Amino acid sequence: MNALWWLALPVLLLPIWWHRKKRVQNQAAPMATARFLPRTEPRQTRIWLWSDPLLLLLRCLLLIALIAWLADPVYPWRGDTVVVTQGADPAWVEGQAKEAGLANAERVTLPAAQALGWVHTHEREWRADARLLVLGDVPMPAAKPVFGRQVEVRTQAAAPAKVERHVYIASERAGEWRRMFAAQGGPEKIVIDDTPGAATTLIVWDRAEAPPTSLRAGLWWVTNPSAFPELAKARNLDGLRYADSARGRLWHHADWPPQHPDAARALLDSWQQLHVGPRPFTMAPQVFAASPGANAPAPGGALRGVLLAILAALFVLERSLTHARRR
Amino acid sequence: MSLANTALIAHTRKLDLVIRHVLAGLGHGIHAGRERGAGVEFSEYRAYVPGDEWRRVDWKLAARADRYFVREAERDSHVAVWLVLDASASMAEPSRNVDGLDKLAYARMLLGCVAAIAQRQGDAFGLVVLGGGKVAFTEASRGPRHLQRVLAQLQRAEPAGSLPDAETLKASLHFAQSPSAIYAASDLLDWPSPLSIALTRLRQMRHDVRVLGLQTQAEVDASFSGDLAYRDPEQEEGVFRFGADLKEGYRRNREAHFGAVTAQCRKNDMPLTLAAIEQSPIEVLRRWLRRPGR
Repeated sequence: MNALWWLALPVLLLPIWWHRKKRVQNQAAPMATARFLPRTEPRQTRIWLWSDPLLLLLRCLLLIALIAWLADPVYPWRGDTVVVTQGADPAWVEGQAKEAGLANAERVTLPAAQALGWVHTHEREWRADARLLVLGDVPMPAAKPVFGRQVEVRTQAAAPAKVERHVYIASERAGEWRRMFAAQGGPEKIVIDDTPGAATTLIVWDRAEAPPTSLRAGLWWVTNPSAFPELAKARNLDGLRYADSARGRLWHHADWPPQHPDAARALLDSWQQLHVGPRPFTMAPQVFAASPGANAPAPGGALRGVLLAILAALFVLERSLTHARRR
Repeated sequence: MSLANTALIAHTRKLDLVIRHVLAGLGHGIHAGRERGAGVEFSEYRAYVPGDEWRRVDWKLAARADRYFVREAERDSHVAVWLVLDASASMAEPSRNVDGLDKLAYARMLLGCVAAIAQRQGDAFGLVVLGGGKVAFTEASRGPRHLQRVLAQLQRAEPAGSLPDAETLKASLHFAQSPSAIYAASDLLDWPSPLSIALTRLRQMRHDVRVLGLQTQAEVDASFSGDLAYRDPEQEEGVFRFGADLKEGYRRNREAHFGAVTAQCRKNDMPLTLAAIEQSPIEVLRRWLRRPGR
């Protein structure tokens, strides 16, 4: 939308119009006996004369700078670039870059999750002939990315980092709960805490009495709803009731602890998806062709600072010159 | 000779030098002005020396004293010479042949010559400059100092504006009380004009009015350049063009105008001298000062 400001460029005609002198009459020589001649139509020449060309130039530049500042242009200054995600194997990166012929290209290192988004946001900063290669463990985005230019992505799945999830179980039937948590696979490691701490993200409250008010966690699994008055108004989804409280989010199901492996897996999956987040999945290597319909997002004002400085300088110059001319 | 003199006028800023040069070329004869007998007043007796005119011998005194005495007269003319300079904008018309020469410079020089002659003859002379809608007077007086004053005034006159209106000029006519000789230099392009009315009126008051009409050779020949646009210096608007197709009409209009001027001058018994500024000032001066009818 900002680019629409370029349509304001005809405003430049205003100072040009103001600075243009009217067409001038041909220089006429005095002749005392002109009264003996018939009067003729004055011959006029249509030439453009400029008053104060320096001032005109300054004013035009001022207007251009103002419109440019509003339009927030993007200058394509980036050449061939290799975007490397953090934690990528350097040897593999070098090999891939050399193979693509981009060994000497500029390297940009970014967190893996932001790499494609960053490329999309900044894609207008690359020159038309620049090549773009994304290397590393790029996670699969939810929607297929669309780029206005060709982007090649080569991925190498990195060994997933071990993540610990701390769980505190307050239950007479702790063995059942532990069994269920032990069934959880994947890169996450579930640690059963003896006492709830700051790292505890889930508390299983399988007791009749209410928990101490100071106890807080991101998620509570509650078997006895009477201890949590918030659950009275909880919404129901397939038997799972959920509500928010000052202690954290509360889940309650009548059939807990889950007796069936499917119910246990469904509960763990729900937990994973809603509170831990999906596990990253490394994207398959592929080449995104330039899509003509791709809309690059609005530029982030990279040039605005410079333009503002130019604008201020031009304004000061224009005012000074106008003042000096009036003197 | 002619061109040398006009070039001299064009390039000499010192009026008295030019005048001296012109008057040297003029020779003698003009000085025997027609005003000679008018102001003769007895001054003293002088012993007769052979060669004196017999008619100047006082015979009554000779009868009494038995010696010849000659009456010496202090020749002091009562005739005032008034120089009228038209300094309207149209007098800035330049000569298209001689660079730097214009009508005003020429008129200035001729009037300066007349002033110098008047001063040599012992006549009082004054100056009237008409221009920019105003009348500038320099009182009539005698003597070399006054000549310098008049020359300075002439030098100072710049072509500007138009002639003063008839009322202003009429109110200023009281300057000529005693019999005067009035030498008016103008381009006569405005005729009838406040100046023409004033001159006619002065003539009717029995003054001797001599009019000099200044032209340029280009005006006489109708030989202006066709490449330029022209404007009337005394009118703001209006642009004029000159070309071969307009030459005949220009000449006809101009001749009709000056024919009317000449006829009116003749009718009012005002000698009119028409002269081109490229002509030799000596010749022009001689024609202007010549007693009419001679």
